[in-house]
Amino acid sequence: MTSDPRAFLALDLGAASSSAALIGRLAHRWRLVGSLAMPSSSSADGLVAELIRRVGAADPTLAASIGLLDDDGTLDAGRIAAELPRLVARSAPARTILACAVSSRALAPLAAAARRTGWRTLEATLEGTDPLQLISRLLDPAVDVVLVGAGDPPGADERRLLGELSAIVAGAVARRADLTVILAGAMTEYLDRLESSSGERTGELLLAPAASAGEPAGSALRELLDEIRGGPDDPRRAAGRAVGALADVLDRRVELIEIGFNGGLRATAVPGSGGNDAVTTVSIVADAALVPPESTDATVDRVLAWSTMPLDRHRLRDRLRELRLWPWSGIGGDGARLRLAAARAAMTILVDATPEQSAMPAPDLVVVAGGAFAVAPGPAVALAVADVLRRPAAIALAQDHARLLGTIGVIPDATERRQALIDLVDDLLTPLGSIVIPGGIRAGPSAGRMTVHAGTGSSDTNLVPGGLEVVDLPPGEVATAEFTFRDSVRLGTRGRHFAVDVSGGLGGLLVDLRDVPLRLPDRMDRRRELLDAWQESLWLTRDR
Amino acid sequence: MTATNVRHSARRGASAGSGAPGASPAQSPELRGLELVACRPILAGPTEVLFALKPGDRSLVAAGDAIVAGTSIAERLRDARIVELTPAATAEGAAAGDRWTGGQAGVRLRRGPGAEAGELLYEHDGHWVLAAGEHAEPVECPLAGVVRDVRPGVGIRVRAQGRALLGVEALGDPTSGRLSLGSERSDMRQGRLRSTSLDVGLAGTILVIGSRVDAEALTRARAMGVRGVVVSGLAGKERRDFMASESRQRAALHRLPPFAVLVLDGAVRRPIAGPVGAVLERLAGTTVAITVDPPALVFDEPKLAVDPPPADHVRVRAGERAGDEGRWAGLAGVRRFAGGTFLEAGWVAFGDEPPVAIPIADLERFA
Repeated sequence: MTSDPRAFLALDLGAASSSAALIGRLAHRWRLVGSLAMPSSSSADGLVAELIRRVGAADPTLAASIGLLDDDGTLDAGRIAAELPRLVARSAPARTILACAVSSRALAPLAAAARRTGWRTLEATLEGTDPLQLISRLLDPAVDVVLVGAGDPPGADERRLLGELSAIVAGAVARRADLTVILAGAMTEYLDRLESSSGERTGELLLAPAASAGEPAGSALRELLDEIRGGPDDPRRAAGRAVGALADVLDRRVELIEIGFNGGLRATAVPGSGGNDAVTTVSIVADAALVPPESTDATVDRVLAWSTMPLDRHRLRDRLRELRLWPWSGIGGDGARLRLAAARAAMTILVDATPEQSAMPAPDLVVVAGGAFAVAPGPAVALAVADVLRRPAAIALAQDHARLLGTIGVIPDATERRQALIDLVDDLLTPLGSIVIPGGIRAGPSAGRMTVHAGTGSSDTNLVPGGLEVVDLPPGEVATAEFTFRDSVRLGTRGRHFAVDVSGGLGGLLVDLRDVPLRLPDRMDRRRELLDAWQESLWLTRDR
Repeated sequence: MTATNVRHSARRGASAGSGAPGASPAQSPELRGLELVACRPILAGPTEVLFALKPGDRSLVAAGDAIVAGTSIAERLRDARIVELTPAATAEGAAAGDRWTGGQAGVRLRRGPGAEAGELLYEHDGHWVLAAGEHAEPVECPLAGVVRDVRPGVGIRVRAQGRALLGVEALGDPTSGRLSLGSERSDMRQGRLRSTSLDVGLAGTILVIGSRVDAEALTRARAMGVRGVVVSGLAGKERRDFMASESRQRAALHRLPPFAVLVLDGAVRRPIAGPVGAVLERLAGTTVAITVDPPALVFDEPKLAVDPPPADHVRVRAGERAGDEGRWAGLAGVRRFAGGTFLEAGWVAFGDEPPVAIPIADLERFA
């Protein structure tokens, strides 16, 4: 390697998936040369070596131009893998927080802040609870951090019991030197009590603002909790930063939806104007994991609601448990459909947990990422997103197929991050297509007509209410879709005539004339048939 | 699983000699790509085992104590409750987690019925609150080792002597017994335990069942004095039924000896992995322990030599060929599989069959 490297590796080492991307300097630009994703149980060095080996085998000239070949034209993948500079995003292990307050009213904002920042959140209140139970929960080895909070100033219902709550926490802190305790709001006044009861500690005692502090309310506490949970190279946090840069680079409103093993991410970014940075809202929700650690009845019900497989509850529970234990195994057969059903259920949780992001104007581009979508065909992923993100709008859809957003977000300097994205933006997103979801379609034989003007010609389609219309529009192609509806509908604004610029992708143009929000039959068999029929039209590679 | 591409075994015949035990995939060109297959250690070295305690439970050991199997290491309270003490009831310098013994003259309890002893929980308004109870039951350590750490209300951590065979989950309480292969008349790895095949002659044993067991058989096994069961997969329904039965058992006044179920693989039916089964066969007749945290079968047999399988030995963990074991025959690249998915695959030769492509994520190897 020279001092001026012509290639580097971007590694996203997640809880269930490891992804390696080789970035090379070609024609004065950084370009994505290749990528490979495997289960995290695979050796990361083996993954990188295999990627380099494949690049060398596929295009020796390119490999030589980025310095992968020796002088004699041979490729020593192992050595190159060890020598190439690496940009690494590494998932922080899943951590559990116990949010604790005097009353349920005081607890709600604390728990909400924790849930939005990627913590597995447990809740406990002193009011109406036996102190013995409360202290048992504080001493549970599964709890990594305790968040104890009160209003600032404390409410009338809190004052009376704050002293006892602080005493109970101090009793737990004295025994668990590893426990990190965050005191929020008026609880900060009890710091002395905790300090005096604890001896030598490995855990920290931290002071935090009240749960309602900041603009918007709660943002100050969320920021602190986010900082404590994940380090600077946590891929979910980093991807949130990268989405802001991506919105600026594309000058479009961008939303990133990521579903992974230990949580989900929803990051919404609006490009900056007048020289300002992009405005980004990031929510990391541990409950939106592909499959939670314990498959409760609620989990099974949620996945069953999206399943197209004739499985009873017990068998589905077993399959989900296996999916949790071995998240990449059993994908062949109906395993991929099960993963997408679980991914839909997780996305539903993510969307429900982030209502203020749903209330923002619809994004121009939705990017999907994460292990949940890693092995599903692009069109099937597009349908999964359309099933859950029911917003009356026209949206372009793309996939972060090489998991580069997380690694680019690790670059600490915002300008460098943006520069990297400018170089790589054409490579890092796989276009899945465009989704048009008109809202307020009325039942009837026809909702109107659509004409798509593309470079290859025009096509005319009758729009049938309640159905899906798929127009073949390959990646890279742009077109104008003209809609004439029989009645007034919502598509950004209300009207009957719309002309929408759409871009192609693996799934083409998907016009979704189903209800907003989506309504499905209550009977399980009919629901399954309907979901299967919709997926049939988009899962083009499935066995028939 | 549909293997859509098959190579002739002759082409890969050269790899047969590369499977020497202990060979490193990274060092042998014939084993290229094998490092991408998940590696499952057959045995773990010395393991730290946690015995959970609740507030009020009393530890009978201290850090550094060497213990033998069967030692009572704690007393668990069945009926822990809160008791408030008067300020005079505790000495100056009392700390949370300390034991408190009463009986001093002039000490009056402020809340709750009287208590002879208990564990100090927290101090509030100048008085201490205590966790106390009337009925304690012993917690026995089923293995020999050294106590590493004792934290009142949290747990006792013991560094176990010997080696451990790790599972994915253990239900019940830590236990020990003589290892017995449950289905000696057929292949132990594939076996199934039926409740009618259990009798009192199995009392005191830990049974290796194979691939399948139901809750009824587990309940009957415990009633017959069996100490534990080792099984490859435990379905969710059986798990839930067993847990409910276990919960009722804990509430009963006269408890049966501790009983545990060690699950080696997961929730669906598949035989016990060959290399794991080989270890279990060699352990038959020896005394072993099942621990819950971590879920493992712990044994102290220093003379028991465990040879790892050949380096190219792989097992299919999921899919249509789940449980099958064969020989790694190289990377197959991205292949199409049933259901229309395209996955990274590897060639695996099963016996004398030509190699077939199996998704790499469905495979595991052993070390």
